[in-house]
Amino acid sequence: MQFKTALAQINPVLGEVKKNREIHLKFIEDAIKEKAELIVFPELSITGYYLRDLAMEVALPSFSNFFEPIFRKSKEIDIVLGFVEKGRDSNIYNSAMYISDGSPKMVYRKIYLPTHGMFEEQRFMARGDRVEAFDTKFGKVALLICRDLFHPSLVLLTFAAGADIVIVPSNMPIRGLDGEKSAIERTVENAVAIYTNFFGNFVIYVNRVGFDDGLGFFGGSFIGTPTGNKLGYAGTFEECLTSSIIDTEEIFKKRQLFPLAREEDLNIVANNFKRIMEEKNG
Amino acid sequence: MVNLSLNYSLVKKFIVHFIREEVRSNKFEKVVIGLSGGLDSALVAFLSVEALGNENVINILLPYKLSAPESLEHAMLIKDILKTPYEIIDISDIADEYIERTPDMDRIRVGNLLSRIRMSILFDKARANDALVMGTSNKSEIMLGYTTWYGDMASGLYPIGDLYKTQIFELSKFMELPEPIISKAPSADLWPGQTDEGELGDTYISLDSILSLYIDERKTPEEIIKMGFDETLVQNVIRRVITTQFKRTLPPVAKFSMRTLGMDFLYPHDLNK
Repeated sequence: MQFKTALAQINPVLGEVKKNREIHLKFIEDAIKEKAELIVFPELSITGYYLRDLAMEVALPSFSNFFEPIFRKSKEIDIVLGFVEKGRDSNIYNSAMYISDGSPKMVYRKIYLPTHGMFEEQRFMARGDRVEAFDTKFGKVALLICRDLFHPSLVLLTFAAGADIVIVPSNMPIRGLDGEKSAIERTVENAVAIYTNFFGNFVIYVNRVGFDDGLGFFGGSFIGTPTGNKLGYAGTFEECLTSSIIDTEEIFKKRQLFPLAREEDLNIVANNFKRIMEEKNG
Repeated sequence: MVNLSLNYSLVKKFIVHFIREEVRSNKFEKVVIGLSGGLDSALVAFLSVEALGNENVINILLPYKLSAPESLEHAMLIKDILKTPYEIIDISDIADEYIERTPDMDRIRVGNLLSRIRMSILFDKARANDALVMGTSNKSEIMLGYTTWYGDMASGLYPIGDLYKTQIFELSKFMELPEPIISKAPSADLWPGQTDEGELGDTYISLDSILSLYIDERKTPEEIIKMGFDETLVQNVIRRVITTQFKRTLPPVAKFSMRTLGMDFLYPHDLNK
């Protein structure tokens, strides 16, 4: 099937959830006008990134009334956004949710929270522990968040779960300004090129722009296709909305022409993995 | 030597966005820059004009009677090129009032005093103009601690604080700053004949190579010396970095409560965006 996907490369206001909800509604409205059927926002799009002690103050349950105006819009367009989730277990999570037809269909909790150098996510938030693919009108979708994408093990799990499309809301700060593109942007593009080529899937990468306390987010959002194309590249540093057509038939074609998916034997992977872990754990 | 080259087109774009957004998220439209006639403040002025427009960049020129005459000439040249509002305040009377009553002052103390008088005036002008004070410190001097604590270090933003001096030269060439300002010897100009490289003991390219290896690549002193750098120079550079760490941190608090400045009261700087 073919459907139009909008990448909302926004610059959220740190800690101002109501202002950010307005930004979301405006971009959603624009995406609907462009006849997009799916819009993806960056990681923590409702809250901003460098929250530190603010994290607990801006946390919201996924079913909060706060999201009602956005839930209503999801009758016209599917929406992925990022927020600090106030869990029923009284932990807070760096989460993203897939909203469709008036309610959240799936809430994903970021698993790998970078906590080193300039990153301190696990100082303030708890980590998730579950990767899954779920049915949408566009096929099976899995969510990963930012750093998760740099763990091939998690991308393998999305493949094992049958995801056709992996959606990756991100907040990646720029670093490495010695090349034509920043080093971090090159890393993302290389990773996505490898994943989409070998797994024969789509990866929708949406990164924010703007600054939190001098951390500069570069944007560079795009959709990686199974045939190695880059769709909807949003450029760097500027807020924008780019829309492009995803044709899921590309997955079928790629997996027939280069049948890595047919060769893949997840039982062999699982059995070996289990044995290796048993040996490791004594 | 170490390859410190950058994509200066990308660096410029990034810093211009940084200035535009951080000035506004600090709730200002305007900035105040202490324009010394040297390269760092000239570069910050160029970047700020690009980010905010010339009418929002207020250049303050603060000469002392012993400043090199070319410093004021070069500062005038920059404000003329950029067509920014400016003000000249000669600090000789203010400084001498104290210096003449304090006969034992050595030149380091005088230099620190001049730097902190300039800081006081810049912050006053910022208040008067509802503007933010722009920092003009670069990564080399910040890391070497070659700077006056609460003097030239005091500011609201450090737009060039992650660029080594070697990279400041290159970005300045890329942005076509006036040649005489790029090619003159870098100097704090706190006393006649002072130069950075004279005081720091080697060229910036050597100093920056050692800093980059030690700070960015986390090489040990032994590894750096093995690469062919002078042992005494390496030790001096690293000693400078280590002994000036206090300038780059908040002062320690006698902590006893549950939430304390700098330790567990951890709101972002851009809290009130």
